[in-house]
Amino acid sequence: MKKKLLFLSFFTLVCQFFVLAQTVTISGKVTGSNKDPLAGVNVQISESGQGTITDANGNYAIKASSNATLIFSYVGYLDKSIKLSGAKEVNVVMTNDPKSLQDVVVTALGIKKEAKRLGFATATVSGDAMSTNRTSNPMSTLQGKLSGVNISTMGTGPTGSTKIRIRGQSSFNSVNQPLIVVNGVPMDNTTYGLGGGIGARSGQVNSSDGGDGFSSINPDDIESITVLKGATASALYGSRAKDGVVMITTKKGSGKGIGIEYNANYTTDKALDFTDFQYEYGQGERGVRPTSAYPQSAVWSFGEKFQPGMRQVLFDGEDWPYAPVFNRYDKFYRKGTNLTNTVTLSNGNENGSFRLSMSNSENQGILSNNVFNKKTINLGFSQNINKALSVQGNVNYSNEYNKNPPQVNTQDMAIPTVIYTLANSMPFEAMQQNQLMPNGNEFVMARFLVRNNPYFSLNKRFENIKRDRLLGNISIKYQINKWLYAQGRVAQDYYARYQDYNIPNGYAPIPAAPTGFINGSYTQDLRRFRERNYDFLIGANKKISDFGVDLTLGGNQMYRSTEYNSVTVQDFVQPGLFTIMNGRAKDPLYSKSERGVNSLYGSAEFSYRTFLFLNVTARNDWFSTLAADARSILYPSVTGSFIFSEKFKMPSWINYGKLRAAYAEVGDDNVAPYSNALYFGVNNNLFPNPSGATVPVGGINTTLVPNPALRPLRVSESEVGLELKMFRSRVGLDLSYFYKITKDQILAAQISDASGFTNKLINIGESMNKGLEMQLTFSPIRTKNFSWDVNLNGAYNTSKVLKLGSSPSDTVISVGGGGGRTIKQVVGMPVGALYTFLFRRDAKGNQVFDKASGRPLRNDIPAYVGNILPKYFGGITNSFTIYGVQISSLIDFRLGAKMIAGSNMNALRHGLHKMTLNGRAEGFVIGKGVNQDGGVNTTKSDIQPFYETPNVLGVNEDFVFNSGFWKLRQLSVGYDFTKYLSSIKFIKGIKANLVANNVLILKKWTENMDPENVANISDNETGLDFWTPLPPTRTIGFNLNIKF
Amino acid sequence: MKLKKLFISGLVLLGFMFQGCEKGFDNLNTNRVDPVSLDPQFVMNKGIIDATYRDNFATLQLLCYDFGIVQQVITPFGSSLSGGNYNIFNPSNTTPIWVNFYQSVLKQVVYVIDKTKADQNKTNLYNEARIWKCYAFMILTDTYGDIPYNEAAKGFLEGISKPKYDKQELIYKDILKELDEASAALDASKPTSVGDILYGGNIVRWKKFGYSLLLRAAMRLTRIDPAAAQTYVKKAVAGGLMQSNADNSVMRHTSLYQNWIAVHLTAREKANFYLAKPFVDFLKNNNDPRLQSISVRHVGAKSGADQAAPRTTNDPTVQIGMPMGYDDVSIKNTFATYGTASLYDYSQVNLTTILKTDAPEYHLTYGQTQLLLAEAIVRGWTTGDADATYKLGIRAHMLQMAEYDIKAAIAADKIQAYVDANTLQAGKQLEQINNQYWVASFINGSETFANFRRSGFPALTKNPYPGSEIKGNFISRLPYPDSETITNQENLNSAIKNQGPNDLNSKVWWDSK
Repeated sequence: MKKKLLFLSFFTLVCQFFVLAQTVTISGKVTGSNKDPLAGVNVQISESGQGTITDANGNYAIKASSNATLIFSYVGYLDKSIKLSGAKEVNVVMTNDPKSLQDVVVTALGIKKEAKRLGFATATVSGDAMSTNRTSNPMSTLQGKLSGVNISTMGTGPTGSTKIRIRGQSSFNSVNQPLIVVNGVPMDNTTYGLGGGIGARSGQVNSSDGGDGFSSINPDDIESITVLKGATASALYGSRAKDGVVMITTKKGSGKGIGIEYNANYTTDKALDFTDFQYEYGQGERGVRPTSAYPQSAVWSFGEKFQPGMRQVLFDGEDWPYAPVFNRYDKFYRKGTNLTNTVTLSNGNENGSFRLSMSNSENQGILSNNVFNKKTINLGFSQNINKALSVQGNVNYSNEYNKNPPQVNTQDMAIPTVIYTLANSMPFEAMQQNQLMPNGNEFVMARFLVRNNPYFSLNKRFENIKRDRLLGNISIKYQINKWLYAQGRVAQDYYARYQDYNIPNGYAPIPAAPTGFINGSYTQDLRRFRERNYDFLIGANKKISDFGVDLTLGGNQMYRSTEYNSVTVQDFVQPGLFTIMNGRAKDPLYSKSERGVNSLYGSAEFSYRTFLFLNVTARNDWFSTLAADARSILYPSVTGSFIFSEKFKMPSWINYGKLRAAYAEVGDDNVAPYSNALYFGVNNNLFPNPSGATVPVGGINTTLVPNPALRPLRVSESEVGLELKMFRSRVGLDLSYFYKITKDQILAAQISDASGFTNKLINIGESMNKGLEMQLTFSPIRTKNFSWDVNLNGAYNTSKVLKLGSSPSDTVISVGGGGGRTIKQVVGMPVGALYTFLFRRDAKGNQVFDKASGRPLRNDIPAYVGNILPKYFGGITNSFTIYGVQISSLIDFRLGAKMIAGSNMNALRHGLHKMTLNGRAEGFVIGKGVNQDGGVNTTKSDIQPFYETPNVLGVNEDFVFNSGFWKLRQLSVGYDFTKYLSSIKFIKGIKANLVANNVLILKKWTENMDPENVANISDNETGLDFWTPLPPTRTIGFNLNIKF
Repeated sequence: MKLKKLFISGLVLLGFMFQGCEKGFDNLNTNRVDPVSLDPQFVMNKGIIDATYRDNFATLQLLCYDFGIVQQVITPFGSSLSGGNYNIFNPSNTTPIWVNFYQSVLKQVVYVIDKTKADQNKTNLYNEARIWKCYAFMILTDTYGDIPYNEAAKGFLEGISKPKYDKQELIYKDILKELDEASAALDASKPTSVGDILYGGNIVRWKKFGYSLLLRAAMRLTRIDPAAAQTYVKKAVAGGLMQSNADNSVMRHTSLYQNWIAVHLTAREKANFYLAKPFVDFLKNNNDPRLQSISVRHVGAKSGADQAAPRTTNDPTVQIGMPMGYDDVSIKNTFATYGTASLYDYSQVNLTTILKTDAPEYHLTYGQTQLLLAEAIVRGWTTGDADATYKLGIRAHMLQMAEYDIKAAIAADKIQAYVDANTLQAGKQLEQINNQYWVASFINGSETFANFRRSGFPALTKNPYPGSEIKGNFISRLPYPDSETITNQENLNSAIKNQGPNDLNSKVWWDSK
């Protein structure tokens, strides 16, 4: 291609010597490389600066001197200059600019706009960035690639949910998730399990991560992802977009005839072990090694010092060597594999096109019973019915089956918890060989019965999550005349999610069943989710000399409902048969939740020439969830951009310069339906009165004090930005600064238990977020056979809690936590203050120990120990092309926050942490410090209770760490083999890539864990860790793409 | 052109959709599954059911503190099970009573009172709720001392999210007044409901329960305010106390509404809790036939897995209580003395009788009432035959055994023999009566803990576990939950200022003299 271009320019250069100048009318057609006509292409006479644009069919006509040079420019395409040299008809084929995605932006409601018209910050990545080096949840791949966007993935296996936060955390609510939009239509991203689920059963043993909405999408179908960062960008998406919008555009066919594409991706996952435990003293409690049959010390390493030849008798009653067992993760977790095959068929002509893809993805988790299978069918089409009327649509069907997602963030059946805390001399063979006692009950390993044999959990517990999801929209557009169009659209996101799981027969922590039954339980859940959006849009644009006006008017009606049916049964007639019918006691549940938002909106964009743009929007939302007199809210936005490089003469090294500014307000309900009134629940089962007649039981079924007067929360956000392209566009810079106030926040403030409730809905919180975002691209080297491109993005975010209650004394609320680990909001501090109990110290700073027991004491009031939200985050991508070999690496970082790495607390209280070596040789610990009377502490404490005490008292100060990291996130090496295939006619292209993900931690501060490896999706639990989730994995594999 | 018309009519249609931008929203925002109101009788039922615990962990305060402090049930294990066994502070085991009674019981009961106070057809339910509220608050204040009372459980009704703490003295005075008034106001001629799970709407029994609870409350003040105690004992006796076990206030657990102490001991904590030696010895030394109903031992068991047939026996002669003052390792020093094979070889509560998973749990019994009455007679606050009353109390509790399970039933001749052998002796009456109260209140954790502090009986010796973190011989109260320091700090601080440090040592008002 490059050669062709070079040749062309050379040719025009030669020709110009032979042509005499005279004014002629030049006409022609401009098309893209796929032969599609391009409308609106700028055609400019280089010498005079005069110009025109192409019409809807790509045709243009311009008067120019016969030896003039015409410059064709169009967003998303490389500029093309053509020396006329006498030709009267010049047809031009324009070539896509590989970096073009930054230049056309899909904005609210799916409207494509030139980037230069936007007054707010966006960030875009191409579909390739997601499909080449992929993760099972497509969103995780984007970590570190978008400035100001912070993405974390839960440590919960193949379906791990992702948490995306754009410009920090604005409200005190537990979810500050951006709105996910697929092809212009919102998509549900509810996370099930992990504290984020809805309608989950309380008291039931189930704590898996049921995944989120993203997992329904096949990365191969993604054309591009654009993130609209500020409130401005989302003024037209309304309330749910207050935390930004992630816009996914899927591929639609193109008009170039039949095309078939095949893509294969295969990767393997290996568990990474960051534990650095002690392997000097083995299993046992209080300094004693197990020597008589059936000890229950499987998760305690407070035993004796390992000596050669020592033996131990274990929970199975058998004799085993008393020796360290290293590499626990390698011994237990298998190598995970992912295989995705996608076949795409597309076709198109001038009247329309379609693209149909089918994929199958099989993900074998690192737990040997965990498999995630996903099948997707994606259809995108567009069709012109006549000259004015066109129809287009997108439909995505996914069938997801997650078999045995691991239990995390708990103890019961939670394999990662047991593997992490397992005594350091426990042979895995012993556990594998002895899962069941002769009577069929579980073989108990630990007196904490819920730390059960991981092989028993693998083999006897099951869980199935199946989801069928149909997501799509159809729109009809009518071009009434040249400047006016109207569009109507219907969209729906619907899924049915089936889930069932058991507690196995003979599980020790549950009671024996009544005579004639066998214990255990079984739960069957069905959730049905539906979100329907109807919208219409009327658009008009007019250009009068230098002024342009673009008007849009629209309305949207959103309805969303969630239904939940569930039955749990306890104890069974027939052993091993887990069905509802087989159960003894049955406990049914049903809930339904509905909400609606109606909206009317309009926007007006004014442009002056090609360098000044002003956009004004207004939107009114009506929320069903809020008080009748407060449910309507009108909010405006105004944005502007100024391309100063087109107005003023710039130094030659500046190719493009733009200033932008924006102000926007957004309102949001941000509260669950039915929060306005107190509701009662009727117990599932009747209760006998003294004469044996059964009577109903019921009562107030909430712990949240309702609030009938809820008003919408309001966000107001201002931002300014600067974009520069310099040195022949080899350096690009995009800077933004934003300032955001969120007020009238609706939050569930923790209140005194003695009020009868745990939380109260209040409507007064106010907070500020501000930050700086930067994206810098530069290409230090560009030669024929070697090029080096760098893309650096970084963000600085900070926040402040401004107001929490109606009185000035309301300065603190607790929003989450437990076990002495608390997240609070404190007036004057950044959002998300981390608190824990500290060890008691005297005035001189000496630690105080109890005189009698020698155990450490604590302060009664928890202390502030840091903030949970990162101040700095970003990534650096280096891409090299060496003789056609493309090498790319991504390093990302997150800095400036604290966490409680509570997994260490479990390592401590179970004798695995190296800290517990202190005193082992002596057999006691004397805490360094004083006792209550002020004298030097001389009291000997037994080792085990000494190290168990911090957990009992909730003192986590030893485990407050910097949660920052630098990671080598991604590596890929790719090569395009197409040029070797010219002899094989039916193959149009082959590309292959070797990829690696989560390659290396370059720097971290936490002990015994990867700071990212947590399983708390809620913003009110960020930075809190206790039960370790599944270990993180390193992914290595390849991606192969063949086009026919 | 046709298409154009079609399209425009489509648009008009869309426009109509938006005409009422909030039409139907009130309806949409109404929960169609849960009701906005419920018969207060059913709400009252929930307040009664939830006064016994509804999940595993809520029972840990009883298991780890109450039962251990009065030396009836003990665990040798520490960490999350520590508490009364080592005399140390374990914040997670000092909160369940607070959370459960405010969140589950009082939330419902205070609502019932509010809903029924002006309803002439519901005066009986209204007064029942007042009595039940007193029952719940006694447990709370006996455990913690000064607590939110007047402003409590009004998070919804009055929007109070930081309730003030009231002094225990004021709380008790109000409880006495309330119980007296509410019991008197119950009227069998007024409407009542068979939907009542406690007494099936039997107002006569409710009345007896009210006055018996008044007796319990009055007797709490024996040391701090004998005059008031005497006054209210007289009122309670005059009002009419429970007459038989049929009057007992009991939670009749079912296979669906299980006894969670039992569930926890049967399941998660199966091999971890044992009958304490002082309790077993008391029963054994007095040839108490209840030992056979309560206790079980797995002779020679060396592990939790060994705690099964054929080792299982309830033969009273081989029962051995776990001595106080040991942990799971130091307990080995006791094996030679008692001839036990391991810690798993000590006696446990029988999980097929008194703590089977659907075993009843008693709030207040005829037996307890007779014993308190006997003490009141001894004190000269009311008239009667102290010895006979004392014996009725013992007899009632022995008969109660059959209600747990037929296997636990005690034969009439055995009861008679025991009663004959236990007569009140001059100068020792209070000890004898309260020792029996200790037995008769077994499993009723907060009541045994309160009465032990009030009466000083049984005369237990200090738990000798090395490293006790308390100042005196016994834990005197339990500290407030940590959550209060976060959500209600100002009020909490004023309570601490009044009552003393928020630890295991400060004494509650009625125990402060």
